[in-house]
Amino acid sequence: MARTKGYPEALDKKLRDQRYYREDSNPEFLPKVKAISRTIAHMCFQCGTCTGSCPSAPRSTYRIRQFMRRAVLGLENEALTDPDLWLCTTCYSCTDRCPRDIAPTDVIMAMRNLAFKRDIIPVNFLKTVQAIYSSGHGVPNNDVNRAARERLGLTRDPPTTHMYPEYIKGIQKILDHYKLKANADRIVKEREG
Amino acid sequence: MSEAKHKFAFYLGCIAPNRYPGCEAASIKAMKKLGVELVPLKGASCCPAPGAFGSIDLNVFYAMAARNLVLAEQMKMDIALLCNGCYKSIWEVNHKLKHNQDLKDGVNEVLKELDMEYKGTINVYHTAELLYNDKFIGVQKVRDSVTNPLKGARIAVHYGCHLMKPHKEREFEKESMLNTEHPTWMEELVAALGATPVEYRNKMQCCGAGGGVRGYDIVHSLDITNEKMINLKEAKVDALTDICPFCQLQFDRGQIEIQEKFGVTYGLPVLHYAELLGLAQGMSPQDLGLDLHGISCEPFLQKVL
Repeated sequence: MARTKGYPEALDKKLRDQRYYREDSNPEFLPKVKAISRTIAHMCFQCGTCTGSCPSAPRSTYRIRQFMRRAVLGLENEALTDPDLWLCTTCYSCTDRCPRDIAPTDVIMAMRNLAFKRDIIPVNFLKTVQAIYSSGHGVPNNDVNRAARERLGLTRDPPTTHMYPEYIKGIQKILDHYKLKANADRIVKEREG
Repeated sequence: MSEAKHKFAFYLGCIAPNRYPGCEAASIKAMKKLGVELVPLKGASCCPAPGAFGSIDLNVFYAMAARNLVLAEQMKMDIALLCNGCYKSIWEVNHKLKHNQDLKDGVNEVLKELDMEYKGTINVYHTAELLYNDKFIGVQKVRDSVTNPLKGARIAVHYGCHLMKPHKEREFEKESMLNTEHPTWMEELVAALGATPVEYRNKMQCCGAGGGVRGYDIVHSLDITNEKMINLKEAKVDALTDICPFCQLQFDRGQIEIQEKFGVTYGLPVLHYAELLGLAQGMSPQDLGLDLHGISCEPFLQKVL
């Protein structure tokens, strides 16, 4: 950027320190977020339409706009260790309304993916993985429901992996390919003993 | 009965078959009357849950959804499904894989271990979309199929999030389905059953269940639901209808949890549109398994039967 002769170096330094080059900023963070989310996160101009559209914002300290800023500034630790990261219901209202056609929801999903690589993940997510690994379903069938299905003229188990468990093997191959089950088991064990 | 005009592989997901089987039974019967045959999609699994799996590793999410898509590709049939969450996974992953060669290659590398290949040869539809789009069924045919009009019932619609949002990425043929600020196409479908559709404050707000939040912070999740319940109570409705079994679980079982945690009682019956359609076509509450609902549907049933 062209500067006048009298450009105050002190102000330049101050801005650099506080806005762009904080000690804990990681210049690799934004490119990683963009690659996973496949959205133009750097285009955010902080208008706040996202936070204004967010159903989680009025009842918590979760501010999607803040996470967008953290992406741009490379504040990886601050973003990934904030428990509010997990309060997005993925309603996509912010994405629906973003005037820059960014998908803030997908930025959150990308940050969650990056958090998981550091074992930062609420246990309930991992329990869904374990349920699917063993049955193919995140919400499996039960006996009350089996009886009800029969009464409705349906098969006791739906014609999914429940009725055809031989298909579960394929699902296990996918989850094992990414070592997801092993990681889920390990983290759940560490947390719950 | 004449032969079905349209055939789809019926993708069930988890919550419909395993918690609200009436949605499944009603969809099969009601759609058949409307010339659409729903064929079982053998060996399908969880879509997988977009909030839970997408949050952990999007690559796993793509591969798991692709496996379900390949099962339908092998049947040479388009998919019909009845859940917004499933739509997000199955429709969106299909769309992403069709348009991003790198994602498609990545998915096929994993699917090779299963002797499967994603080709991108089918389309994915929500049953609500099939009902609304006259290329398949349309509102008039729905109206003509009604034998037990739900007269006098005031019904509010919960659209949910993942069918229509983000609208910029959706490709519905009916333009009215691309309006996510104030859509009214579901209200047209409710009116077709003889009921009175009712508007309420902040209709498009999320139910609060998605993104893993229901499992992560149940009170936060229910507080979002409760805000919707307050707005629904203000509108004095007899029932809430939805097109997503996960939203249905959040409103139906959620009302019991709201009672326990916040001490507020609403007693508002919550029915999937397929269940409403089944009732209006003459199916009995027993045929629909409405007794499995957490909140009794009786007050609503007394009004319409």
